[in-house]
Amino acid sequence: METTQDIASTGKPAATAAGPDAAAPAAPRTAFEISSLNLWYGQKHAVEDVTINIPDRTITSIIGPSGCGKSTLLRCLNRMHELVPKSRMTGSILFFGQDLYAPQIDPAVIRRRIGMVFQKSNPFPTMSVAENVTVGLRLNGIRNRPFLRDRMEQSLRMAALWDEVKDDLGKPGVSLSGGQQQRLCIARAIATQPEVLLMDEPASALDPIATMKVEELIRQLSREYTIVIVTHNMQQASRVSDKTAFLYLGRLIEFSDTDQLFTRPRSKQTEDYISGRFG
Amino acid sequence: MADTSRHILGAYDDALSALQNDLLMMASLCERNLRNSLGCLLNRDEDLCNVIIADDEEIDQFEKHVDKTGIDLLRRFQPVASDLRQVVAAMKLSNNLERIADQAVNIARKARKLNRAPLIDEVNFLDPMYREVTSMLSDALRAYTESDIELAISIPPRDKKLDAMNHEITEKLTVRMTKSPERITDYLDLIFIARHLERAGDHTKNIAEDIVFAIAAEDIRHMGAQRPGSAADLRGDKPVEPVAAKAGASAVS
Repeated sequence: METTQDIASTGKPAATAAGPDAAAPAAPRTAFEISSLNLWYGQKHAVEDVTINIPDRTITSIIGPSGCGKSTLLRCLNRMHELVPKSRMTGSILFFGQDLYAPQIDPAVIRRRIGMVFQKSNPFPTMSVAENVTVGLRLNGIRNRPFLRDRMEQSLRMAALWDEVKDDLGKPGVSLSGGQQQRLCIARAIATQPEVLLMDEPASALDPIATMKVEELIRQLSREYTIVIVTHNMQQASRVSDKTAFLYLGRLIEFSDTDQLFTRPRSKQTEDYISGRFG
Repeated sequence: MADTSRHILGAYDDALSALQNDLLMMASLCERNLRNSLGCLLNRDEDLCNVIIADDEEIDQFEKHVDKTGIDLLRRFQPVASDLRQVVAAMKLSNNLERIADQAVNIARKARKLNRAPLIDEVNFLDPMYREVTSMLSDALRAYTESDIELAISIPPRDKKLDAMNHEITEKLTVRMTKSPERITDYLDLIFIARHLERAGDHTKNIAEDIVFAIAAEDIRHMGAQRPGSAADLRGDKPVEPVAAKAGASAVS
């Protein structure tokens, strides 16, 4: 039987590595295999019968009008929705072949492998820039100072923030600008070396320059991470993502390569939404 | 589902409508000039030649205006999907229309020169070619205004016919040159006019191909024998009706 320890320590599960994916190396790996997913918040049916495969090391955008279930679907990918009282889910989500919702899986461990960045940057106000980056590692019991120092620098460099804060590592994280704080949160998310980054409108509160920096960062990170991003900004989805899913009233209307969805969508509902004819 | 015939931003509909109106105005001037270009030769009407040459300036200004309006529209609204295709197509159409108008000017210049010499009967060789190219342009513009994809798809194959006509006229006139060498310059001018008509046909074909892309998101350029013969031959990933009940399952790519 697979254990929480297995899923925490081995990265991608051994079963997958030796399974059908390994036998067909040319086929793109699937990070998430979502099947017939339904989710209710009390009586509200927030996500309806969604089936979708999210490929590994790509950027997948989820777009749709407010209340269509984008963020809910995103939160299902690291079981964050379970923090909401009276939520109920049916269907299945396989993460590199493993059932995310198997009884023996610890949600806290899952969230270590599947990091999340939120709309509003949320650095810990009492911690310095450096402490904000390493807090996840320290919570996991890592105390080795040289290791923490190296990982902090590596994460800040990956978040394209190192050059801007290297002389201010001891300053409070909240003293940075909004765009820097968001990149600090991304550095914090990648410091624990997750395999996936979930981003819920990561640039919606940022100015255009900071937004471009975050978008460039997302592009860079996609070389090593699977990224799923919820955005209201369709130009952003068009710019940064490889695949785009359009949700409407909790249902998946279309999931296509981004260039196809924004130039020749298959569904008229998609066409009407992205061209601003309803929403 | 809300009424989807209009954009949420009324200003977008207004801007697109203004762009399309400018394009149609330009198209009508261009079509008129092409129609008149051979008329001024067949009727030996020098004034009409001069009108065509003078009118070209207005068409040039329309091209610049359509480009500016299109760029403004892209900058202000960042359209996507069919909206984006409509704007791009309008800008490409205006470029091809301007080149057709240039061909009309070239024909008018040659006609003005020919009209100053004694009449040659071989001018009538050009009439079938002229009828075909003006008919192609007229059909292309109708396909644009009526979003008639079948009509647009039917136009590019007609360009082959035009090429063959040009080839045939050139051969005939070359033979005449050997028989009447004193009119060799006039025959050469007729050959050039046939070539200008053939080029106008090329631009009309480009227009038809751009219209197909605007309507169906299908690029049918440079496909040779693979070119679709009708809308039914298109790949079918153009906008369709909303995906029904099992949206999730059917939407997985």
